[in-house]
Amino acid sequence: MRLAEYLKDNIPAMILQVLCMVLLSLFLLSAGNTADTVGFVLLIWFAVAAAYMAWCYYRRCGFLKRLLDLTEELEEKYLIAELMEKPLRADDRVFYGILKLADKSMLERVAAAERENREYREQIEQWVHETKTPITAIRLLCENNPTAIQKPLLLELERLNHYVEQALYLSGSEHTEKDYRIRELTLVEAVHQAIAQNKQLLLQNQVQLCVEPCDITAYTDEKWLVFILSQLLNNAVKYKNDTPVIEFRITQEDERVLLAVADNGIGIPPEDMPRIFEKGFTGRNGRTGGRATGMGLYLCMKLCERLGVGLEACSDGGGRTVFTLIFYRNPFVGVR
Amino acid sequence: MQSRIMLIEDDAVIREELRVLLTANQYDVGVIYDFGSVMQEIERFGPQLILLDINLPLEDGFRICAKVRTKYGIPIIFVTGRNTDMDELQSIMLGGDAFITKPYNTAILLAKIAALLKRAYPDCGEVALDCRGVRLHVERGTLEYQGQCVELTGNEQKIIYYLIRHAGKICPRADLIEYLWDNQMYIDDNTLSVNIARIREKLAGIGLSDFIRTKHRQGYIV
Repeated sequence: MRLAEYLKDNIPAMILQVLCMVLLSLFLLSAGNTADTVGFVLLIWFAVAAAYMAWCYYRRCGFLKRLLDLTEELEEKYLIAELMEKPLRADDRVFYGILKLADKSMLERVAAAERENREYREQIEQWVHETKTPITAIRLLCENNPTAIQKPLLLELERLNHYVEQALYLSGSEHTEKDYRIRELTLVEAVHQAIAQNKQLLLQNQVQLCVEPCDITAYTDEKWLVFILSQLLNNAVKYKNDTPVIEFRITQEDERVLLAVADNGIGIPPEDMPRIFEKGFTGRNGRTGGRATGMGLYLCMKLCERLGVGLEACSDGGGRTVFTLIFYRNPFVGVR
Repeated sequence: MQSRIMLIEDDAVIREELRVLLTANQYDVGVIYDFGSVMQEIERFGPQLILLDINLPLEDGFRICAKVRTKYGIPIIFVTGRNTDMDELQSIMLGGDAFITKPYNTAILLAKIAALLKRAYPDCGEVALDCRGVRLHVERGTLEYQGQCVELTGNEQKIIYYLIRHAGKICPRADLIEYLWDNQMYIDDNTLSVNIARIREKLAGIGLSDFIRTKHRQGYIV
């Protein structure tokens, strides 16, 4: 609050003071006082009134400044009514009461929205887990009964399963803290799992795979990593060329372990490169292929961020695309 | 001797198909239909391994696992659609030996079962396979014919193993390749031909020719 604003608020009081001064002067003069006496009385009056106003201004300013500072420090600004001291002035208390009411009703709304959101997410998760049972049943039926359509059917099942998994991670992508377990993992094991999950896809597209045996480990969550690798495999096949080759390379540097997934597909145009991890971005390849959802890489990035794993992409635009997962070795892990 | 596996799963189709799959893979399968008397059934059947679903009527898999653990040390594999890490953690804490999530890859499931059985009962594993005078020593990775031995590489072992297991039947190349992929050998059609040629060469070296025959456009047969 600036002084000018404060004075402006107090214009009626000041006019009243001036009016009273004028009336008193007239009274004193008519009662036969000298102009000097009147002037002296007015001076005293003015001094007292000014001092009082200054004191009021100072207190008010202090009160408001404390309130503003408190609000500034608060992360959840809407909680100010819970924290501020109860004001002494009657009109302030009315505003305080209103603030508290507004606060309460908003908190109720937020809590309700959060609950609804959580319930919805839990329902989706529950539903995804339920769908796993019929998918398993179809898979087993398929594998136990060799027919001409067995292999195409298994491929479609793999796709179905991948999309269902995507839904699971998408529904939980904001609140998956409770659902991961970081432990030491032999990376090539996760690669084998991701390949097994997409066996029909890779076989029927005649993908040549290069996986070198390797016992390098990293600290991460197995399930999430397998999902990320599975997504990268799906992308590599989706944007393949005539003789697809996918290569997994696991290397160790001083403080980090790199897991690279390289393919010889159609590549990513340089102008699309900066945006491939954006939600819903499909790019030129996605538009011409027509099967991109723009969710896959976005999900990968999201999960990587949560795991504290780096994810980088590079492509020379006309052939080779490499996605590299970077696991940082915490220097404190393994120290005894 | 066939290993006995108890199947505790409430979905009728999955239960039946798993029974078919496991029976086809030379296991003796016991199935539970009445979930009110799980412990009695287990006692009666005396399994060497249990496949256990988590979501079950009456009692969930965790409680059954805890109950089994108070009496027996047999391996337990949890098989479930709920693949949250909390479930996995709980299953491990209660003494489960493996945790496989639906929809499982049957190759992985069978491999897990075989590995656990081998660990729990080291004596009853497959040591050798015989076929028309040829003996494959699985552990040593060698092939024996009329007293002569030849060493095989990993790929070759798996190919021979698969062919002998399906002796007398035509094995399509695609199935053979898929089997090798299940065993984490990602070979393609050309590499398979090379491998087969190399095996034939090795077999000829110990006086065995025409052991693996090619059925044109169909596959291989021994």
